[in-house]
Amino acid sequence: MVSPAALPPLPFNPSRVRSYLLRLPLFTRLVVLVIILFWLLELQTVWSVVQWGSLIPDEIGLSTMYRLNTYPVIHTGFFHTFINLLAVTPLLERFEAEHGTLTAIALFIGPLSTLPAGIYLVIEKFILHSNTAVAGASVWAFLLLGSESIRTFKSNPYFSLGNYKIPTWTSPLFACVLVWILVPNTSFLGHLCSVLIGYLLGLGYLKFFVPPEKILRWIEGKLNLLGRLPHYVSVDQKTYGRYGVLPTAGAPGGERGTPMSFLGGSSMALKSSIRKLRNNPQFLFIRLPYILSFLCIVAGVVWLFLLPLDDYSRKNYISENALLPGQVHAYFSGSEQHIFRGYKKELEGLLGNEGSEEGQKNEERTPVISDKIQSILRAAGLKVATQEYEYTSSGISHRGENIYAIIQAPRGDATEAIVLVAAWKTVNGELNLNGVTLALTLARYFKRWSLWSKDIIFVLPPDSKTGTQAWIDAYHDMQPSTVQPLPLKSGALQGGLVIEYPFNHRFENLHIVYDGVNGQLPNLDIFNTAVSIAGGQMGIGTRLQEMWEHNGSYEKRLQTMLRGMVKQGFGYATGAHSSFMPYHIDAITLQTHGNGWQDEMALGRTVEGLTRSLNNLLEHLHQSFFFYLLMQTHRFVSIGTYLPSAMLIAGNFTIMAIALWLRTGYSQGSPNVIAATNDEKTSEKSPLTSPDKADSVEQETTNKAAERQLALPLSLVVGLHLLGLIPLYIFNNLSHGNYTLATLISIVTNALLPLLLAALLSRNSTTTQQTHLIKSLSLLLLGLFLSTLATLNFSLSFMIGLLCAPLSFVHRISAETAPVLRYTLSIAGLVFLNILSPPVVLLAGCAYFGVSVETVLMEAAFGWDVWGMWTQVVVWCVWWPTWVVGGALVGVSLF
Amino acid sequence: MTTIFLFALLVSALSAASAASNYHESLNLQPFPPSSLLASFNFKSNTTQTSFEKQHFQYFPRALGQILQHANTRELHLRFTTGRWDSESWGSRPWDGAKEGGTGVELWAWIDAQDDETAFAKWITLTQSLSGLFCASLNFIDSTRTTRPVASFEPAGDHIGSENLHLLHGTLPGEVVCTENLTPFLKLLPCKGKAGVASLLDGHKLFDAAWQSMSIDVRPVCAGTDCLVQIDQTVDIVLDIDRSKRSRANPIPRPVPGDKLDCDTSKPYHARDTCYPQENPGEKAWSITELFGRSISGSCPLADSQGSDGTVCLRIAPEREVRPSPESVETRSSDEFTRCFTPPPSTAFDLAVSEHKIQSTVPLDEPVLYAERTIVGHGQERGGMRIIFDNPSSSKAVDFIYFETLPWFLRPYIHTLQATITGLDGVRRQVRTSEIIKETFYRPGIDRERGTQLELGLSVPPGSRVTLNYDFEKAILRYTEYPPDANRGFNVAPAVIKVSSPEAGRPIYLRTTSLLLPLPTPDFSMPYNVIILTSTVIALTFGSIFNLLVRRFVTAEEASALRAQTLKGRLGGKIVALRDKVRGKSSKVE
Repeated sequence: MVSPAALPPLPFNPSRVRSYLLRLPLFTRLVVLVIILFWLLELQTVWSVVQWGSLIPDEIGLSTMYRLNTYPVIHTGFFHTFINLLAVTPLLERFEAEHGTLTAIALFIGPLSTLPAGIYLVIEKFILHSNTAVAGASVWAFLLLGSESIRTFKSNPYFSLGNYKIPTWTSPLFACVLVWILVPNTSFLGHLCSVLIGYLLGLGYLKFFVPPEKILRWIEGKLNLLGRLPHYVSVDQKTYGRYGVLPTAGAPGGERGTPMSFLGGSSMALKSSIRKLRNNPQFLFIRLPYILSFLCIVAGVVWLFLLPLDDYSRKNYISENALLPGQVHAYFSGSEQHIFRGYKKELEGLLGNEGSEEGQKNEERTPVISDKIQSILRAAGLKVATQEYEYTSSGISHRGENIYAIIQAPRGDATEAIVLVAAWKTVNGELNLNGVTLALTLARYFKRWSLWSKDIIFVLPPDSKTGTQAWIDAYHDMQPSTVQPLPLKSGALQGGLVIEYPFNHRFENLHIVYDGVNGQLPNLDIFNTAVSIAGGQMGIGTRLQEMWEHNGSYEKRLQTMLRGMVKQGFGYATGAHSSFMPYHIDAITLQTHGNGWQDEMALGRTVEGLTRSLNNLLEHLHQSFFFYLLMQTHRFVSIGTYLPSAMLIAGNFTIMAIALWLRTGYSQGSPNVIAATNDEKTSEKSPLTSPDKADSVEQETTNKAAERQLALPLSLVVGLHLLGLIPLYIFNNLSHGNYTLATLISIVTNALLPLLLAALLSRNSTTTQQTHLIKSLSLLLLGLFLSTLATLNFSLSFMIGLLCAPLSFVHRISAETAPVLRYTLSIAGLVFLNILSPPVVLLAGCAYFGVSVETVLMEAAFGWDVWGMWTQVVVWCVWWPTWVVGGALVGVSLF
Repeated sequence: MTTIFLFALLVSALSAASAASNYHESLNLQPFPPSSLLASFNFKSNTTQTSFEKQHFQYFPRALGQILQHANTRELHLRFTTGRWDSESWGSRPWDGAKEGGTGVELWAWIDAQDDETAFAKWITLTQSLSGLFCASLNFIDSTRTTRPVASFEPAGDHIGSENLHLLHGTLPGEVVCTENLTPFLKLLPCKGKAGVASLLDGHKLFDAAWQSMSIDVRPVCAGTDCLVQIDQTVDIVLDIDRSKRSRANPIPRPVPGDKLDCDTSKPYHARDTCYPQENPGEKAWSITELFGRSISGSCPLADSQGSDGTVCLRIAPEREVRPSPESVETRSSDEFTRCFTPPPSTAFDLAVSEHKIQSTVPLDEPVLYAERTIVGHGQERGGMRIIFDNPSSSKAVDFIYFETLPWFLRPYIHTLQATITGLDGVRRQVRTSEIIKETFYRPGIDRERGTQLELGLSVPPGSRVTLNYDFEKAILRYTEYPPDANRGFNVAPAVIKVSSPEAGRPIYLRTTSLLLPLPTPDFSMPYNVIILTSTVIALTFGSIFNLLVRRFVTAEEASALRAQTLKGRLGGKIVALRDKVRGKSSKVE
């Protein structure tokens, strides 16, 4: 790939672990392999390995006798596998090294699996009459521990503790009890059985199972096992030593000179390749980062796709006990519906007054309607106030007047409040007449109750995008000068509900919208309360993320989750509730959907139930999760489970950056030397006699620490990040007509800018070290930004991370490459990178979702101006500069 | 109007009282459209200073009297309040706000003591004793909640010959006032709530009110040299007539049957199932029995009713029909709105008022000033306070003292104090604070010792609205300083506003609502869970294993041998040897 630069010495000495692992004898290796294989097999959902092979007492019949042998290699999960592997590998290795591979195979496949299983079955089934399934290699671990402890007992019988003498053979029993207490779901009985067999083995009562040495030796000799199989441990240790090899005086000493367990020339090739791998900093510093980065990306993506599985997502539950959802009877029914109809007719009558000659009613909220709404609220005994506001974005002015009214809690002291919002226009621009009427009816109905512990504020903004934002900003006195302050206020807001009922027929189910600005989410408790009240008490189905048909399958869950992630990643307001989130006020929107048999009173009762639940709150909602991905109305993934996904992707950049940084710290050795040796420099103490020594010494002399020339890379990277502010400013301040043009211009600019930079860089004859440093710094920043962002807005970080992933792997193509290949490669790389440039991705996304670029950019500028959305900042100041650096590095190879 | 009316009552009661010890009670009722009713109970007893000092109590409650004597308290004001006064619908406050406290409990007293320390010690004695007497958490008024206001309060009594009077003031904004405070309150009355107007005071109805305030004022009243000690107890409540009329058996405000709805039948779409409710339904009929659940059981035989028009007074539109129980005496006062009734001494008394389509209403007094105080800003670290003063008068400027006490964990930045003024033209402009604020008394708080005390002398020009803003910082509490209850936030006491009106003589008091201050709070359950779990595991496994590993097990002989090796052992050996030597010598000498 790249010409090997000078390489630093190994920062750690991995050869000990590696040599131990590489010396593992044959049977141990096989067992480890099989265990891992079975664990991987268990990951698929079609065929349950655990069901097939574990030791289930009731399932044991003549045809299922295989379970007696398979259960030790089958595990129920990653941690089970991992811990058991850790425990059993050294023990098994020891056993095999002492008794030989053949004996180990004969014993472990045969009696040492079946005997504990047999005892366990007898006790479990016929004495205890229960049916607990067991599986896992821990049976061997305890068995071997048992036999080891007998041997220890023979040489060192007691462990004295003051006056007490504890026999050493009891130690596995202690271990057994401790494991039983500390680790959940362990079979104490199973472990006990295996310890018992272990004792028998140690005491020698099981000797008759061991095949006679003569036969083994005969087999060994006949098949030449020792010569053919690598890592094979012979029966005849007296001849061949513990690893089948006698230590020779001339063998390379030191800790890393231990040879593999092989004999003869048949595996010389293997030997050399392993040795190369082990001694090769080339691999560690040049290949390994790429592999690790790639693995990180793959693991991150795979992790995300695992989340919808039952094992990784959790069932929703209500954490705040004070909410008591659905515990109160909702009385909103009966004659309240007459009032609802009366209010609706009244508003409809005013609606028809204007614009009726055009055949369609004017759906804007006129001052007449506003006055009527205020008089209705006043007649119901509420305190009413209005607020005017105006926002300007992309040259378009948004103005309106919020009406809001407060039910002052009887005996309350204006310290806390709940907000109910019914916007005149829904977030999709439909007329929300039913919603507003319902809010008015509820206001009149709630006023009669004396149980409110918090004030209830009814906010009736003219639209869903600007109105609530203006209101909530002014409520906290954070409003811009074009927004009026609020003349009437109450206490701290504890929760918000938005009602949307934009059609006249009955509805089927409720669509709960919960995403806030910048991907902030409301507390999961409020969502769960809504689901539980609507579903459990009122019998209304709930939907989320516009998934109207959801059968709970993996695909549907994944789709729901991805939709949620897209919304979260874009960070725009999805409803009137979104504006509340930045002020740490939990709010959701209830949208009616479909054509069913639920009427407005059912919605009203749901809102009543929810308000009663919020009214019960003693503390601000804090118990449940604020960071989650929902995949069904009753399943979610919490941050601890999903975060590694984005973190792995962000980590790939950091790994690459660190590797590049390490590589740049050493001056270049002559390339042919490195190519010839491919060997790690060895310490001078080691008694090297081979001709390698000369080379390595020579390499060491050339491999000196080099000074990093940081000025150019640093200023370039920082400059590019600052340069991102220019498109950020332009795109947020353009007039709405120019957006398409601006996008096209930015595509062209984006195509040219890297080439321009590349030309400049190559004219200044930038060294390889500097290009490495440029890439390193740029990736370092990217990794830093993305991993920080992942904790705030997981989805955005994940998406940007994926789009930037190729930047880890593109680099200046070495000048030594044949020109034809070099030009083709770099041009192909540039074209590929241009496809992934921010404006092109924007165009592609717009084409895919079928919206015009102008709309998207207008929304974005609106979000920036009104909602305080910072998705653009991430795009222009994080993604774009890194992208330009990547493009420039590929472009350098053209010149 | 109410003011003058009540004041007249007060003066008449006073003049009657000055002679000797006596007791007087009254009840004033005033409906507020559309459906509220202010009921103002007043109980007043006197005793002479001499009999008070000799602990000869007749009408004066002995329990309270002894506490006051023990705590050297010359004048006492205690308030229990819940809810907020809705001055937009209800006009100015009863008694000009003089008998009202901020949300929760408020207490101030003039204590006779040599110096500040003694005064504070007596103050603590007083709060502890009152806490027991009134079943309230008054004992939580410690140094952090006690202030010494400079300009906001003036003694109401005549203090002759008392030089060293100390005013101390404390508030408990989070205190929930309920029946356990009412019962001791009633016990102080001579008739104990069994007879007279006090028999209406039932906890169920009283604490269902929209706003409610109980007050106790003890003060010396002197005419020349003979002094009286006067205790004045009031209960003011604003009842919601609709809610109070609901029967005990069916307290849930279920939707009424469709045919009982009060609909506007003039609407074209009016139908059996479509109803636009009447916008002005008028005032409903009510009676004392319906509202309070019982009638007045006669009059208190100890009450001295001479010199007053009647015990139960009603302020209502003149054309409205009122049907009192027979045998009661009705007197109409000179202003056309007030009617008073004297209940019969031994039979139950009830009063029924007819419903009323609004033609003429009783005029409401407009408050001299509207004040609103809110916390603005968001986040865990900083916030801001915003106080709005609204002068409704178009001709007169309002001068007043604004007094607030802030808990120590709210640290105000007074240098950020800013004033904006919105004139009649509706234009907001920033003004220098010195234009609005005439004088300032500021006593900064000390962490965990005392709160901040801020008194501002302000003047609001006519017809304008003044907004004061300042920023504050939220302190981080130690974890033991969080109260053990559910953490809803910390209450900040209401601000007290004293409007000095030269014509009325007495100052008018206003109070803002209390505030809720959210402080950065850890999720207590999580660290506790983690700590408990990890400690258990470590204590059980790691602890015992580690202990076994580091301990050396040796036999006793080995141990003594080892001990001999150490410095201490060697020194010990030397000392023993030396001692033996000395002993040996001394024994030789002997």
